[in-house]
This record gives sequence, structure tokens and C-alpha cells, in this order.
Amino acid sequence: MFQFAHPGYLWGLLAVALPILVHLFNQRRPRPLAFGAIEFVLRSQRQKARRLRLRQILLLALRCLLIAAVALALSRPSLKPKGVLTAQASGPQATALVLDASLSMRYRIGSKTLFERAREEALAALDRLGPDEPASVGLCAGAAGFVSGGLPAPSFDRLAVRRLLQSAQPTYLGSDLTSCMTAAAKALGESPVPGKRIIAFTDLAAHGIRLDAPPPLVPPPAGAPPGTPGLKPNIVLVDAAQGSQLPNSAVIATAVRPTASLGARGYEVVATIANQSAHSASGLQVSLKIGPNVLAKGFVDVPAHGTAKKTLGAVLPAGVVTGRVELAREEAQGLDEDDGQDFVVHVPRDVKALIVDGSPSSLRTRDEAFFVEAALAPARTGGRIVSQTLDADAAANLTIDSVDVVLLLNVPAPPKGFAEKLRNAVVHRGMGLFIALGDHVDPDSYNDALGDLLPRPLHLLKTAAEPGAQDSEDHAARFGVVEWTHPLFRVFGPAEREGLESARTFRYALLKPDPASPAHTLAFYDDGAPALIENRLGAGRVLLYTSSASRTWTDWPIRVSFLPVLQQAVSYLASALEERSPAPAAVGAERAVQAPQGLLVAQVIGPDGKPVALRREKQDEADATAGPLQLPGLYRPQVGPPKGTPHEDLSLAFVALADPKEGDLRRVDEAELKAQLGGAGSAQVAASSEAAQGSHGTPLWSGLLLLGALALLGEGALTRR
Amino acid sequence: MTLDPALLARLGPLQVRARKVMEGVLTGLHKSPHHGQSVEFSEHKEYAPGDEIRHIDWRAFAKLDKYYVKRFEMETNLRALLVVDASGSMAYGRGAMTKLQYAAVCAGALAYLLSRQGDQVGLCISGDPAPDSTERLPQGVREFVPFASSPAHVQEVLRRLEGASGRGPTLLPAALDFAAEKAGRRALVIVLSDLFDATERSIPALKMLRSRRHDVLLLQIHDREELDFPFDDPTRFLSMEDDRQIEAQPRQIRESYLLEMRNFLEGSRRELARADVEVQQIATDAAPDRVLLELLARREAA
Repeated sequence: MFQFAHPGYLWGLLAVALPILVHLFNQRRPRPLAFGAIEFVLRSQRQKARRLRLRQILLLALRCLLIAAVALALSRPSLKPKGVLTAQASGPQATALVLDASLSMRYRIGSKTLFERAREEALAALDRLGPDEPASVGLCAGAAGFVSGGLPAPSFDRLAVRRLLQSAQPTYLGSDLTSCMTAAAKALGESPVPGKRIIAFTDLAAHGIRLDAPPPLVPPPAGAPPGTPGLKPNIVLVDAAQGSQLPNSAVIATAVRPTASLGARGYEVVATIANQSAHSASGLQVSLKIGPNVLAKGFVDVPAHGTAKKTLGAVLPAGVVTGRVELAREEAQGLDEDDGQDFVVHVPRDVKALIVDGSPSSLRTRDEAFFVEAALAPARTGGRIVSQTLDADAAANLTIDSVDVVLLLNVPAPPKGFAEKLRNAVVHRGMGLFIALGDHVDPDSYNDALGDLLPRPLHLLKTAAEPGAQDSEDHAARFGVVEWTHPLFRVFGPAEREGLESARTFRYALLKPDPASPAHTLAFYDDGAPALIENRLGAGRVLLYTSSASRTWTDWPIRVSFLPVLQQAVSYLASALEERSPAPAAVGAERAVQAPQGLLVAQVIGPDGKPVALRREKQDEADATAGPLQLPGLYRPQVGPPKGTPHEDLSLAFVALADPKEGDLRRVDEAELKAQLGGAGSAQVAASSEAAQGSHGTPLWSGLLLLGALALLGEGALTRR
Repeated sequence: MTLDPALLARLGPLQVRARKVMEGVLTGLHKSPHHGQSVEFSEHKEYAPGDEIRHIDWRAFAKLDKYYVKRFEMETNLRALLVVDASGSMAYGRGAMTKLQYAAVCAGALAYLLSRQGDQVGLCISGDPAPDSTERLPQGVREFVPFASSPAHVQEVLRRLEGASGRGPTLLPAALDFAAEKAGRRALVIVLSDLFDATERSIPALKMLRSRRHDVLLLQIHDREELDFPFDDPTRFLSMEDDRQIEAQPRQIRESYLLEMRNFLEGSRRELARADVEVQQIATDAAPDRVLLELLARREAA
């Protein structure tokens, strides 16, 4: 079925009469002439007569065809698909231009991205709108639908719409084209113009379109009786990719974890590479960058429409490390933005521990420090903890400026000078102090010597059972309530807690009750007495274990749970815990940033070096929520005292990742899409809006013009002969 | 001096026109560098104005104190028969003159020239006989004037030429047979025709004439329109000799027509030249005196 954009030009078909008139004029009754050389006329005419008649008719046909083709082409005909409702708006239409601004629109083909093509198409579509057609434009990206929250009602302010289009930029967000079109249909309802049209410029990637959603409907006018059904708008989906396949490979996930095989601070980075194309990719180069340096490179083969994992290993420096996994690109086209992922990993620093042995023994197993030394041995800690063991007298004379943690194991009450040194280091330098008791400890002198270094003053020693005595196992104390979420015990899964709970303690110190003390008990014995109690003192921490670190008072040191708790305790006290790296945030989402104690989150610097919007629940709250995060990459919060200058705190740094779905540019099934949008009658997919705008069908005019040109050529060839 | 056919056509009776053409030829001959002198001396003739001064015999003048000019064998013995085709096609001509009128001018001028130098001139007009004719003439000969050289005879020749009208089929072959018979001993036969002959027997007849040792000269006369076919509008062409007719788009057949015409002209010229018949192809827009002058000059050079 044909339809015409400019039916007025069809009057031009009447011009077909011209060549017919010329033909008839040529065929009119000839003038008689008595001619001498008629013999030659006769001979010529006999040869030519038949050919001439044929040529005459051919010429006539070609001339008619030429004129008809031009007239038809001017009227811009198109082939309307069957079953089109005649209810479709002809005449002016309120038009909503929906421009897909999702990350996948950054896909580059040649020198232009899909978004740039779509924007050009949208501007051209805007130019083609009639003066009586109001328009509105929206950038579709993010979970909310449109970037600006919604689509304004169509207006005649063409300049504003144009300016908006010209300044439009693609985002790094995903898009939900379905909800955008639903919102656009709603906005069209606010226009009094009866015709409604949505032109969406998109890559038609399947991830942005929900085929199970109800079709977009323009709400009935305000005055309509209740129960009036909504109106199906005309929908044109302009395919920015123009039907071409869009192969892409992307880094879709990055996992960073320590690996013992690379020694201390050895990490492996596992990158998951996806190949969204119909051909398998072989030899993709993956590189691991830390700062500007490439630390490792590898190659990976990825099957078509599949994923592959590539593990790259590196020894990382201590502290907060930011890095990036990247694919090397060679193709001219593709989506560059998802070819890499940033990550942040907290690499624990090395800890220097001083073990003060209060009861040295020439017999290694009898030595008070034996189990602690074993737990902190480089072989068991990956070399992260360097320990030195001294007896109490030697330790008292040592400078402890470079020590991160001091462990007092069954040490008699230290002299005043040493205690003061310890206190200074803890309060001012943030040193950690671990205190374990034993037979050399006298509660009263300990309370005197250490004072507030002890989380709570010691009271008296309790003997639950004599070690080695009969039934001692039954009477000995066990660990009761344990704060499993504390870093010390975090390593224990539910199945592994038995290892801690099975320890038996025969003797331990009871502490004086002190309701005002800020100390925090991490573990209790089953009789309710504190077993491990922690206190923050200035910049440092003190951890008191109320029993012994050797087998004299307890059998815990020979249990499997002793080793991890002690290692964790040393790291914890040194503020060098192997912290879990922060989970990445999603682009488009918000991220809560928790300020360290006493400090305030001042601002968060985004990957582009510009601060990100911050939101606080309360005016003077220290924590803040950053976002929505617009860019993928590394975000660096800056913290500071409430009225001081802020400084960057890398330990709070986090990474925002783009939605890996955006890297999958597989096209939606057009037939299903049309069905979802209300059937082929009101929806269509076109390579350009020009083809679709104003007409709804296959355009025919270019073919007609070609036909006309051919007719002109043929006519010329015939008349020249 | 060149006589434009258009100017000539306005000059009135054929006598005037033919004389004008003759004068033109004579003037041309005097200027011409070619002086044929190939024939044998025959007798003396008293000088009369118009004779070649260079032919005056100065020895005879010394002896007799009178001007005599030498007469030569050729000149004295020449018998020339003018055969004019007056078929229907010769009546064609939408310009200044029809082909027949043009042929008459040329024939008249030749008659003047020939009789001036004392040659005997005869005329044969070919065509079907006039309905009111009382003369008993064979088939194909409409009029015949026997050989003579007196000025009165020339006037008779001119009168007959002026009275001729083109009609009927081409009967030239029959007329040529008759001419061959009448010319008797070796003579100059000048044929003026377009040679448009549906039976295509004219050329064999010309060759036959030549084979009887006559000196045959063909003036093949065509109208410019026949040569160029300058028609544009669709036309019904009517035959001038029979009832054939044809409708045609001249523009579409022009190329083919011109090819046919060229083939005809070339073919007839080539064929007659092979038989040693001299052919002069003339268009009616050419000045007749110029044409005749060229012809004479060529013959003298030969």
C-alpha cells in the first residue's frame, strides 16, 4: 500500500500528457510533396519503417516514464506495511525526541561514536519538524529514565530544544529505553496537538530494552471520560548503528587477592574478560597497571559470546594501592570505555613486633615466648611480621621508637621508666601493646606500674582447675561469649569456631569492675569473666589477655585457633590489619563514605579530578554520601578536622564500575521490539529518521529518481541516433 | 561574371537567359589560360567579331589584306545533339528554376556556343509525346530538331526548349536509342538529365551510345533539396512520374536517404567513367555559366 508525504506533487503526473501530445503532433497528417528523388525515399523508408515505429513507441514510453518518475519521486511515496491503522496521525505531531545517552552509545565506529551519529540524526529530525509540531528532547540514561529526571512537555521553543541537543553528551550509565519511552508518552499527553510521535535514537542494544513491559501509551486528555484508553503514539526507533553488528570485548570483573606463592605482599589480580562478538577473540592482551607502571602482561583467548579469566600476579607495595586492568585495543571500532577496570586494594604494611619474654627458658618449649614466636614466624605470616624477642631487662633499656607492637608475656611489673616509655609510644605514636599474664604477674604491682595502660585494673587470680589434675578438663574455663565480628575473630567461620571454643583455661586474672572504663571486652570465659579486653589509648591500642601465652595457665596456645588470633591481634594493634578491600560502587549509584574518628569527609575527588556532589543526613555529620557517581574510575575522599584543611585519605578510596551489561551491544530482536511497542502499525525501526519521519514505510523516491535518470539516459541515446 | 540562377530566372525568355549564359562563358574562356589547339587545320574563314584573334592567319592577311581565321577539323565537322530529359522528375525544383528549366538554360547556351563556331546542333527532348502532337516520332521522343547551324535554327532549338514541360515517366533510354540512330557518324551527344530512372536502363543506354563511338557528355542535374533532403516535417512524398507515394518522417530517414543518394551519384559516375562517358554533376543552385565554363575548360585541357 502506497502513501505519499507530499501528495500535491502527484498533480505533476498530468505532465505525462506532454510527451503524448508531442508524439501525436509528430503523427499528424503529413504534408504532401511531389518529389523527384522519391526512389531513394522509398528505399530508405522501407529499411527504416519498422524500426522507426518501435523507436517512436519506445521514446514515448521513456518520456512518459521520466516525467511520471520525477513527479512520483517528488511526492515522496513509501510502501506502507500491511495492516497499518488509518487512525495514525497524519498532519502535525507532538514529537518527543529520546536520545539514548547510555555508556554503550560511546561505541565508536570510525571517527564517530554512536552517540554523535544519533545526535546528528536527532538534530536533522528536529529540522524536519513542521512549524506546527511541538518538540521536546530527553537524554535517556540511568535508572531514573531520563538524565534530567523527566521529559518536559513538548514546546515550540525550538531553540531551547536545539541547544539541549547540541550540548548533549553521552554518560557512563546504563539506560532503560523502555521506561524512557513510557515517560515520553506521558509527556506527549500534555500537548494539545492530536498527533503523538516518539523518535528514539538508540543503538538498539538488548540490555536497554525490556520486551516484557507494557507498550508506552499517551494518557487520554484531561477532559476525557473515565475509562478512556490511552493512545498509542507513533514510535520511530532510529538505529544509530544502522543495523551493523557491534563486536566488543570488555573487562567485566576484577578480583584482587593475596597469594602465598608470590611471597610477602604477593597478589593475584583475576580479570574476567567478556567477548561480545560472534567470533572468538584470541591473543587479547591484558595488562596490569599500578600507577603509571605496567607490572604484568598476559594474553587470553575468549570464545565468542563468552568470558575468560586471566590471572596476573604482582608484588604490591604496602598501603592503599590503586591499579587498573586493561585490554590492549587494536581494532578501529569498539567501546573503549569498558576496556579496563580500576581497583583499590589495601595491602597491609609490615609490622615490627617486640616480644618481651618474662620467663625465658633454655628449653625452647618451656620458654614463655615459644608459642608466640612460633605464631609470628615469617613462614607463617608471609614475612609481614618481623619479631624480636628480649627479656624484660634488655627490653627496658631498648629504644622502642621503631616498634609497632610490644608484647609483654608474663613480665613482672615493669619499672616506671619502661612503663612511661610504653605509655608515650601508645598514646602518641599509636603503638600497640599486648599484655599476657603468668606466674610472674602480681596484680597490685601491675596496677601500680602500668596504670591506665591496663584496660581495667587487675583484681585477683582465679584458678578454675589445677593443670594436670584429674577432671581438670571438666573444671577448666572455656571461652564463652566471643565477638566474632571483631577483626581478631573475623577469620573464624562458623565451622572453625570450635577450635577456639575447645580451649581450656585453668587460671586467669579477674578484673576490677570499672563501669566508667571505655574498655571493650572481646571475649569472655564461660563464667562471664573477661578473657580478652581492648582499650583505645590516645592513638594506640592495648589488648589484655587475662591468662598466659604459654601452657602454664591454659592449653589455648596449642590449639589451632591461637595462631590466627595472635597474628590478627598483632596486626590489629599495629593498625596493619589485612583489611578487606572496599567493594566497588556502581556508576550512577551513591556511595557512603565513613569518616575516621574525629575527622570530617570534606570532599570526594572523582576520576576527572573534580569534586563529586556530597550529601549529609545532618548538617554537621562527619560521614557523607557521595554521588550519584557519574564516571567509572577511582574516587579519592578527602578528610580533615571540622575546621582544618582536609587531606586525601587513600584508605577511603573506592572505585566505581560501569554496568558490564553496557558492554554487550547485542541487538534486540526487531520484530519482538515492534510487537512490544504496539505492533508494526505504530512502531518502526529505521536506519535514519529521515527515512521514517513523516512517512511510515519503505521509502521509494530514490528508486524512482534512479528510474527517471535511466529513462532520461535511454531517451538521450535514442534521440541521438 | 557569374550568373546567379535566381537572377537568371528573372531574365525572362530563354533566348535572353541562354545568351547571357553564353556571354558569360565566352568572357570566361577569354580569361582562361587553357587554349586547346589539338585539331588539324582545315580551311580559312573570314574574320567576324567574336572569333578568336589569336586564330587570325597573319600570313593570309599579308597576302590578301583581309583577316582570315583558321578553321580546324574538329570545329568544322562537329555535330552536336542535345538530349534533354523532360520526364516528370525533371519538373522538380522549388528554388529559382526547376531542373528542366536549368537544363534548358544550359542546353540553350550550348546551342548558342556551338552554332557560333559553326557547329551543327540538334535537339532531342525525351518524354512521352504531347497529346496534341502531330509529329510522328518514335516512342520516348517528344520533340526532335534535326542538325543545323544557322542562327534561325538556334532560335528554333530555343523555342522548343522553352516550350518543354516535365511530365510522365523517364523515357531516356528510348530517346538515346533514337539519338544514336539520328547522330549517324561520330557526333557529340550532350545529355541533360537527372538520371532518375525507375527501370535503370538509362546508364546502359548511355554506354551503348558511347560504344557507337559518339562523344557522350552527361550533365546530371539535381535540385539542392534532392541532394540535401532538408525536410523536417512529416511528409507524404508523391512520385512525379507515376502514382507511387509514401509517408515518411524526413528527419528519421535523412541519413539513410543521403546514403542512398550518395551511392547513386557515385555509382553512376563511376560506372559511366569506366565506359568513358564524361559526367558533370550539377546542382541547380550553381551558376550555369560557371558550370559550362568549367566543362569547356576541362574538355579543352583533355
